[in-house]
Amino acid sequence: MKLINKRNFISIVCIFFTLITCGKLLCEKLCNFTDKYYTDNIFTILAFSVLITLILSVHYYLRKFPFLLVFIGQYVVTVGIVFFCIWIHGLLSANAPTAYMDMFWSITIPFFGGAVAYYICFFYQIRKANKMLERLNVEE
Amino acid sequence: MKLIKTKEENIEENYLELHYDKIDDETNAVLERLRDTLRYIEGTFEDRKVTIALTDIFYIETVDRKTFAYTKDMCVEIKEALRDILEEYSNIGFARISKSSVVNIYKIKKLQGDINMRVIIFLKNDEKLIMNRSYKNEFYDRLNKLQGRKTK
Repeated sequence: MKLINKRNFISIVCIFFTLITCGKLLCEKLCNFTDKYYTDNIFTILAFSVLITLILSVHYYLRKFPFLLVFIGQYVVTVGIVFFCIWIHGLLSANAPTAYMDMFWSITIPFFGGAVAYYICFFYQIRKANKMLERLNVEE
Repeated sequence: MKLIKTKEENIEENYLELHYDKIDDETNAVLERLRDTLRYIEGTFEDRKVTIALTDIFYIETVDRKTFAYTKDMCVEIKEALRDILEEYSNIGFARISKSSVVNIYKIKKLQGDINMRVIIFLKNDEKLIMNRSYKNEFYDRLNKLQGRKTK
């Protein structure tokens, strides 16, 4: 079943945006940190939310391909898009010296975290199914 | 309704016998279940017509527009298409695992995952089948339904 479609795309982007922004504000409050680039970062979060939703929505169409290939492909494309955007931004105004590195980690951590969670769910499902099969075989 | 199991040695085939005065709802429900389970399917094996019980089939696959049902020691060509088999017999344990194959859940020994998130199905006849990621949810739904029916 297709989980992200044209109808719910915007609402999912909004959910991601709210969650990330709330997380950011909470972290800032806890660390007593004042964000000097508040407006810039809010738009970055919005772009990120659109990108995350886009990545998850194309997953449905790529199910027939091996997961590892899809994962690596999506990761490389995402990093490419983000780095291209930073480069464009750099042409218009000055980038922070650590801009590329910061964005690299901002992509890598959620990507690998998501993959690990996905793998855990996948193997948990198999374990559960094996228990069900055992029960069916005993009852047979 | 009572169930009496009697072990008889050297009989040709296992059989069920029903003793009744009036068929009540409970008996009717059991008969309904048996009707599905004890279904047979016709096909050809080595140029002769054969009839096989659906419960003996391990898996069914389509190769070059022909459908084959695999039992423990036979590969029978059948007329039914995979779609028809799923429509008619999914309630007795058949589930789709790829575009061209359907497996009998009762003939599965165990499942194993690989790094590409494909599921390897080990059958009781020691054959291996691969389940695509796209059919995973459909398969687990079917398994859950069977499990639910068994525990009722």
